Amino acid sequence: MEPNDDPQLRKLLREWEVSGAPPSLDERVLGRRRPWWQFLFTGYIRVPVPLGVAMTVALVVLAVYFVRDRARTPIAPPGKTVSLTEFRPVDNVNVRIIRSGYESH
Amino acid sequence: MTDPDFRDAFHRHKDVLYRFAYRMTGSGAAAEDTVQDTFLVLWRRPEAYDPGRGALRAFLLGIARNLLLKRARDERSYDPLVDESSICPPIDVVGLERAQIVARAIQALPPLQREAVILAEYEEMTLEEIARATEAEIAAVKSRLHRARENLRRMLAPLLEKKGTFYGTK
Repeated sequence: MEPNDDPQLRKLLREWEVSGAPPSLDERVLGRRRPWWQFLFTGYIRVPVPLGVAMTVALVVLAVYFVRDRARTPIAPPGKTVSLTEFRPVDNVNVRIIRSGYESH
Repeated sequence: MTDPDFRDAFHRHKDVLYRFAYRMTGSGAAAEDTVQDTFLVLWRRPEAYDPGRGALRAFLLGIARNLLLKRARDERSYDPLVDESSICPPIDVVGLERAQIVARAIQALPPLQREAVILAEYEEMTLEEIARATEAEIAAVKSRLHRARENLRRMLAPLLEKKGTFYGTK
């Protein structure tokens, strides 16, 4: 310790006594410790304002880009297109009706 | 750091941290908050303590000290922490107990002088330990202690017997 060459001052300073930590501090420190993973649910982090603003702007830009991109995309065509160029209608339509009664014979 | 290690560290150092924080702030609530936050730092980042760089007490006092200075800056940003030329006038002792007068005198010191005198006079730390805890050079600690004692002699002059030295205001 740095020698204090003034014993009178030292004696006077010692008259200000401070008791130790109150018992309530034990509970505050030892009782409130939690497993690290609980931080994921109950913890908080401090984010600098410039970083927070930059992240918010980036999120908004991404969201706008995503929405506009979806609006511009045409409705997806069916997987297989059918061409009617070779289509020829039949000349005589001969319809044969089979009733269900024949099936039993 | 295991749970028993943490509990042991808490029980061994809580009183010195509380007394230091109380003398720095003059408030029991602020001292409790500071001690709690100090141990929270130790619990979350135990690897920050390197036993090769000094005792755990100095490490914890260093954390508490940084928290207290941050608090002082937040609350009274217009007061400089380093005020080497600060001259504290004598205290009006009428109606106060001697211990109250001493407390007021300590509180009136600039923060860096206050922490040096508290650690030296009340916690009986060496210059090296104080320098480690306050992240300062030994010469700077010596200088702060010298100025703190000069200021205290001036402020507490009414309670000190005259020894041929006049500790009045300039």
